[in-house]
Amino acid sequence: MKSIVFKSISKLYAGKPAVLEFSLEIPRGQRLVILGPSGCGKTTVLRLLAGFITPDKGSIEIGGQVVVKDGKNLKEPEERQLGMVFQDLALWPHLTAKGNLEFGLKAQGVPASKRKQEIADVLRLMHIEKYANAKPSQLSGGQQQRVALARALILKPKALLMDEPLSSLDLELSLKLRKEILRLQKEIGFTLLYVTHNREEAFEIGSRVVVMSHGKIERIGPVDHIRQYFKQPPQF
Amino acid sequence: MAKKPVLISIVVVLAVIGLLPLLVMFLRSVTVEGHFSFAAYEGLLASKNKWILLKHSLTLSFLTTLFCAIIGVPLGILLAKTDMPFRGIFVVIFTIPLLIAPYIMAVSWFNLLGREGLLARFWGERTAAVTSEFLFGLPGCVLVLFSTYMPVVMLLTITFLKTINPRLEEAGKIVSGWPGVLKGITIPLIMPGILLSCLLVFLLTLGEFGVPMFLRYNVFPVETFTQFSAFYDFGAATAGAIPLALITALAILFERIFLRKKTYQVKLASEGNRTIVICLGRFRKWFAISVGILCFFMVILPLLLLVLQSMSFNAYARGVDLAGDSLIRSLSYAAIGASMLIAIGFFCGYLIHNRSLFLWRSMDSLTVFLFALPGTLIGIGLVLLWNRPATNFVYATPIIIIFGYIAQYTALTSRVTVSMLTQIPASMEEAAQIVGAGWLRRIGSIVCPLAKRGLVAGWLIAYIFCLRDMGISMLVYPPGHDTLPVRTFTLMANGPADLIAALCVIMVLATLLPLGILTVVFRSRGLTE
Amino acid sequence: MNKNLLLSLFLTVIVSIVIVLGCRKATDDSQIVVVYTSEDQVFSEPVLRDFEKETGIKVKAVFDTEEAKSTGVMNRLIAEKDNPQADVFWANEPVRAEVLKQKGIAAVYRSPSGRGIPDVHKDPEGYWTGFSARARVFVVNKKVENKPASILAYTDPHWNGKGVIANPLFGTTTVEMAALFTLWGDDKAKAFMEDMKKNNVGISTSNGESTDFVASGQYEFSLVDSDDAVSRIRQGKSIEMVYPDQGEDGVGCLIVPNATVLIKGAKHPDNAKRLIDYLLSKATERKLAFADCAQIPLHQGVETPAEVKPIEEIKVMKVNYSEVAKKMQEIQPYLKQWVGF
Repeated sequence: MKSIVFKSISKLYAGKPAVLEFSLEIPRGQRLVILGPSGCGKTTVLRLLAGFITPDKGSIEIGGQVVVKDGKNLKEPEERQLGMVFQDLALWPHLTAKGNLEFGLKAQGVPASKRKQEIADVLRLMHIEKYANAKPSQLSGGQQQRVALARALILKPKALLMDEPLSSLDLELSLKLRKEILRLQKEIGFTLLYVTHNREEAFEIGSRVVVMSHGKIERIGPVDHIRQYFKQPPQF
Repeated sequence: MAKKPVLISIVVVLAVIGLLPLLVMFLRSVTVEGHFSFAAYEGLLASKNKWILLKHSLTLSFLTTLFCAIIGVPLGILLAKTDMPFRGIFVVIFTIPLLIAPYIMAVSWFNLLGREGLLARFWGERTAAVTSEFLFGLPGCVLVLFSTYMPVVMLLTITFLKTINPRLEEAGKIVSGWPGVLKGITIPLIMPGILLSCLLVFLLTLGEFGVPMFLRYNVFPVETFTQFSAFYDFGAATAGAIPLALITALAILFERIFLRKKTYQVKLASEGNRTIVICLGRFRKWFAISVGILCFFMVILPLLLLVLQSMSFNAYARGVDLAGDSLIRSLSYAAIGASMLIAIGFFCGYLIHNRSLFLWRSMDSLTVFLFALPGTLIGIGLVLLWNRPATNFVYATPIIIIFGYIAQYTALTSRVTVSMLTQIPASMEEAAQIVGAGWLRRIGSIVCPLAKRGLVAGWLIAYIFCLRDMGISMLVYPPGHDTLPVRTFTLMANGPADLIAALCVIMVLATLLPLGILTVVFRSRGLTE
Repeated sequence: MNKNLLLSLFLTVIVSIVIVLGCRKATDDSQIVVVYTSEDQVFSEPVLRDFEKETGIKVKAVFDTEEAKSTGVMNRLIAEKDNPQADVFWANEPVRAEVLKQKGIAAVYRSPSGRGIPDVHKDPEGYWTGFSARARVFVVNKKVENKPASILAYTDPHWNGKGVIANPLFGTTTVEMAALFTLWGDDKAKAFMEDMKKNNVGISTSNGESTDFVASGQYEFSLVDSDDAVSRIRQGKSIEMVYPDQGEDGVGCLIVPNATVLIKGAKHPDNAKRLIDYLLSKATERKLAFADCAQIPLHQGVETPAEVKPIEEIKVMKVNYSEVAKKMQEIQPYLKQWVGF
């Protein structure tokens, strides 16, 4: 079954297309990367899927359910069972790492005893047990990344959306976290939709890459094909 | 989903409490003996005199706002971002004039600068004649209103400085000294707050007539006041307020155009509560002395006579006896009013910031119009609307006073909320949304905690304005339920000077003490600095 | 932490509501009277408290500010016309009482206490009754040697820039101007006003303010109400009081009585009548004579302190208050233009 299906999605801002006739099917468990320069519409696609903005045209399905059709959100973001890691991480500064993880569980009505277990499991999974009671301002960049990832994964989402999550990190940390993401994806098996402008990152994380430019899909295919396509280095 | 019903109900509340009284007054202004007529508007600006009055109002408002900004912003920076000594004390002292009715400040300045004022005793009659000449006219009006309203700019500057992302200033410090960073980075970043404070000062001054009347500088709001007090013509009084409403519209438009293309950085999660403090080094003492001198001449000296006049046990005893119950009422109504204002203002601000409903612009304009309008107009509108047997449960109770506060002051809390929300990245709420939190949970658990400093500041500002309110309270308080400012003014008519002075001091203490307690409580919870 | 904050705010609101409600003592509605008064609170409140003590009827009062500081009870009474909250209006001059009569807000009540009051100080139709009057007097700074004796001092070049008058759009100064218009006719009165302006008269916001200006030396004399003058004299201010136009050719001094009005549709009419009877009594006139307002009793034979001249000893300006009220409304547009608004 297809995890996510985009059908002819278009989004315009002040008459100018940010995304134009975007159609894509993402099978369950796939690691799909959207690659493109700033302003190509890749973040817009992510935000359309999350439900923060509504397309002017087209439909989106998640797990077989239509969530957007004819310019109307049929399901709000909180109902789509997605996880997201934002570019600025969006960790809530007034909550500890544990508090950041617990928030979603509480919102979903998970009982206290189960919450405790889930949090412990995810902290262990991400190797951040000892930072549970620290506030985000007390954590390093890499530690904040892990908390953000943990927060996205704790609710076992249908798909994980990541919007250039490693762009502000140094190379060493970025490489480390890429491997971490791959390990998690392999262990848990979630569908991954990853947005980046970094080709190396795209090729390492993705199993399939969509290249976007000016709101449209320029090329789509397995990593090797896209790597060939980029033999002539483009100007991003 | 709860979002739309809650926001729509806020719109309805503001429409009923704020807009309806205005519509009632507007209808009065276009009907004569049951027939449609523009008679009240004819000749409104036909005479040259009215244009002169309008020019006076604009000049006074512009100059007062200018001076408040020129002094208030740097002062706010000194008090919020440097290691200058006695900062806390200075903030409190500079705020005091805001707690006192502007008319009383004018009288205080008269007692200082008048022909037989305090200065005359030290510097002689000739100097006093000059100072008296200065006081009665535009310069005097600007001086009095500047000393009264400068705290608005100062307080809002302090509030907004706390929200700056320190990294941005650090990035500037790499290549420039503090003057360059303040000019090029800090001040532009807090521009929404500065503009908001300037807008408030401009509108407060525009609607002020008590001080200009006392200092013999004729201004346009006198038109509305005169129609009420001399002609008892509600229609003409409403018509007289329309030019002020139009000027308000222009001010809002100007603000929107100016801010439209600006974007503002936010303090990220990693920054915590950090604010960079400027070390003044060897200039620390000199800055403190300079601010101290300003404080002395601007606040302490004019109020010195007020305090000296009140220095008798009998005056205070009589004051407590005559006004003790009105004091308790004032504090209660102000606390309730501020709480209602922050609740309504928060959701109104949220609606405006997120453009959640199509009429977000109208909501912003409505609240600012209501703030700019004379309290008397709103008060009479409330009386005409709510004084019916069926609504006696509102009109004959203190609820009507709270309604008056909501109608007049929602713009304060709404705009502070908007400015605070501008500082919070949208991703904060989105992150909560994507993990399944409904709207109310997001508001309560994420947005409010992130905006808590703004909410606290908004509550305190609303509390001050509710406490000092007289225009609306005067007209709607249920018999026997007057507030302290009203009581002070009614006793002022032939009341002994020491009693009036004592009541003013009681009023100031009554405002500062609860504010002080609340500030300590909030500070202990990290809500203010 | 946000929960605690919300809880704290919520508790503040609750406690406040409790305090507010607690401040409202439960009172039997039949033992209440609601009075709106434009007589200065420092003078009227003691009288109302005495009424409470003597009758057991709780008085709920709405007091007024000085005319130009804010709009007050008159606007409230007019706005509340269709559902009046007040039972009684205690006016500090009769012209506003006339305005209420004209607007259909007053009801007829001829109090037995008012029988001893001369008819000239009552509405012939019974809508208001005058009592305890003030005189319109000069206050003069003690340093001034030759004191002004006539209202014409305002136009005398000798007093150029030395006189101040309260804004004639408000309060008893309006009554004074309207009285002069009825006495002199429009042309002469307007000429007088224009000459005042040419003589650089100062305009203050109220009689109290005028008195304070004269006491401070800002100006040398002003036409004010006698209660403003007496209260400042008793406070030790450097002023003297002069009754203007007492000579043979003088127009006399305008007498401005207080006035009681029964509000039409009052919710407590019986208590209202009792209050009116009390206000119009000789005992109340005596209290107001001895108070700092030093008001002149209109009943014969009421004891007064030494500095309060009995009305028989004052040359009084001969006016009809009903005509003055009508004239007041006629000339207000002119006054507005004169003031510069």
